Amino acid sequence: MNKLSNVIGFTFKNKVKTKSFLITTLVLALLLTIGIHVPYFIDKFSGQESGPVSIGLVYSDYPELANSLEKHHGKLAVSGLKLTKYEQTDGQLAKDLESGKIAGYLQFVKANEESFPEVDYISKKDSIKGEVQTELQAALQSVKTEFITKGSLTDAQVAELNAPVAINVQKLSAQDGAEASKDDNDFSPVDFAVMYALIILLFMTIMMTGNMIAAEVTAEKSSRIMEILITSTSPLTQMFGKIIGMFLIGLLQIFIFVGVVVINLSLPYNQESLKGYSLDFSQMDPAVLILGLVYFILGYFLYATLFAAVGSLVSRTEELGQAVMPITMLSLAAFYIGSFSMSAPDSILMKVSNYVPFFSPITMIVRMGIGTPKSWEIIISIVVLLISIYVFGWLSAKIYRTGVLLYGKRPTFKELRKAMKAYKI
Amino acid sequence: MVTPLMLDKVMKQFGEKTAVNEISLQVEAGEIYGLLGANGAGKTTTMRMVLGLIYPDDGRILYHGKPFSKELQGGMGYLPEERGLYPKVKVSDQIKYLAKLRGMTEAEAEKSLRYWLDRFEVPEYYDKRIEELSKGNQQKMGFIAAVVHKPKILILDEAFSGLDPVNVELLKATVKELRDEGTSILFSTHRMEHVEELCRNITILDRSNTVLQGNLRDIKKRYPREEILLYTTGEVNGLELLDGVERVERKERGYSIRISDVAVAKSILRKAMDESEVEHFEIKEPTLNQIFIREVGEVHE
Repeated sequence: MNKLSNVIGFTFKNKVKTKSFLITTLVLALLLTIGIHVPYFIDKFSGQESGPVSIGLVYSDYPELANSLEKHHGKLAVSGLKLTKYEQTDGQLAKDLESGKIAGYLQFVKANEESFPEVDYISKKDSIKGEVQTELQAALQSVKTEFITKGSLTDAQVAELNAPVAINVQKLSAQDGAEASKDDNDFSPVDFAVMYALIILLFMTIMMTGNMIAAEVTAEKSSRIMEILITSTSPLTQMFGKIIGMFLIGLLQIFIFVGVVVINLSLPYNQESLKGYSLDFSQMDPAVLILGLVYFILGYFLYATLFAAVGSLVSRTEELGQAVMPITMLSLAAFYIGSFSMSAPDSILMKVSNYVPFFSPITMIVRMGIGTPKSWEIIISIVVLLISIYVFGWLSAKIYRTGVLLYGKRPTFKELRKAMKAYKI
Repeated sequence: MVTPLMLDKVMKQFGEKTAVNEISLQVEAGEIYGLLGANGAGKTTTMRMVLGLIYPDDGRILYHGKPFSKELQGGMGYLPEERGLYPKVKVSDQIKYLAKLRGMTEAEAEKSLRYWLDRFEVPEYYDKRIEELSKGNQQKMGFIAAVVHKPKILILDEAFSGLDPVNVELLKATVKELRDEGTSILFSTHRMEHVEELCRNITILDRSNTVLQGNLRDIKKRYPREEILLYTTGEVNGLELLDGVERVERKERGYSIRISDVAVAKSILRKAMDESEVEHFEIKEPTLNQIFIREVGEVHE
């Protein structure tokens, strides 16, 4: 036990001190900070830069339509648009357009007698700004409705006509009514966001620490310190010491990131701009978080043992990337199954993945967050995961024990089996 | 007193190939035991078995009369042939780490490391990283890593290779010191002069088999003395005509004479004294180098 804590301490201490760790953590923390500030920046820039855009409105052929447009546009509470009246497309208009006083102008163009005329927007640019277009379109829609109905409908009826049809999504649950309504609550955007954050975090942590474990083992092998190490402690102690040490590194990193997120979110100006996204962390289900953590730890250990085993087989760091490829693929598959199934968390694919040890840590977190796994499903999946950790841990330990003494080119499975037999492991 | 380290008909096979075939040897307390052999003769495999890294297929290895167990690891020191330490970790950090892994406390490890750094007159390396040191100095650190925990059994694989003469002497003196303190040392090398200087008993391995074993002096006695070194002031003629003289070589200061029978030495000396003045006369014992080449080289031919 003493030796194990020794290995853990040494791994942790040395990794924390390395430049690469400091830099990755810093860069990622910086990216997170920037990411959180994006809504704020968007607010800031879109608010300042434009002000209302000035657009000319030509009355000439359709003064009643132009009037109606001005009336409807005037009703809007907020507007990024200012309409200026022009009688004709004459010299004054061209001059204003040239001088930049107006960004462009609107003109009604006659099509045929009875129908609504076409609307032209003429400016010096190819495009029209998104918000401006939306605003104009909405106003013009109202103008068109008025034009067609020609006063045969009341204002209330027109408003009703313009309102979009809302679909209320309701879920029928097998349980009683109270439960059902609670379930509906679970599909909050917070859960969705947290799930996404969790699987990205899980995936990233597994990949990063896993690769670090493999690289460390290979480095120890190639620097030949391995021979001294394995004469000092059992390979098993070393392997798990390293895995746990790296796990602590991963946890430390996660805590730093979570800290960065929390600090950033609590900045007053960020709270303002994030309010629009209705993120309320009190909505989160603590059970999801706890089980998520359990899956996180189990998933980490499953992958970490494999990474250690692969690292022990490779003699030189250059060969490592190729050797860890299968594990990378496996974790990528898990990640994609999880993230693409977010819209259908209870699909057959997800249900099957729950019992596949390499996929279940990620897919189960997704299902718990936005799907409705039954508790026996969770239990079986955890048991399967535990058993496979034991099996793969045992296998990895054997491979590790053999691999660390094999130098030269990467051994094939046959050579490995032979070596295991020869070493009597 | 029980032998600290005893190998009894130890055998190891890797697949079809026999790596070590029935090697038996004993290392007493305060003894340096030489394990010689050409490359691939099975030295490293033998050492790895002693260290408990791999298990013998047959035979026994006893440590103070007991079979291998995990607790023994703390009492063993190992300097591997291709030695290595963490390049980017400070000397003090990693050597203390290794010492603690072998059961020392932090304070003991600190004290022992300081002692050894002072012993090698490089206390300033305490805070250096391994990659900052020269190769020879890295090797010294590797040696310290092997002995820092005061092992009872020390295994040195090619301990002196790659060192300059000054450092070889320094390390040799240290090894002798450890021997005098009662450490059992299993020592492998290609450099025969080191063996002659340090070892009492030797085993020569050749392609997995033990070809020669025993006390170094006894072994040498078994090999006939075949060479006489004679320095004289003037010329001595007709030496090659004596019975038992095979070949006479003229050297800078005298003669090197190959003989087939040691009895002829007397008549050579008499003849030399008659004809000239003798400055130096020596019946040379065979060097280990010669014995080694004879034992191992011949089989290879």
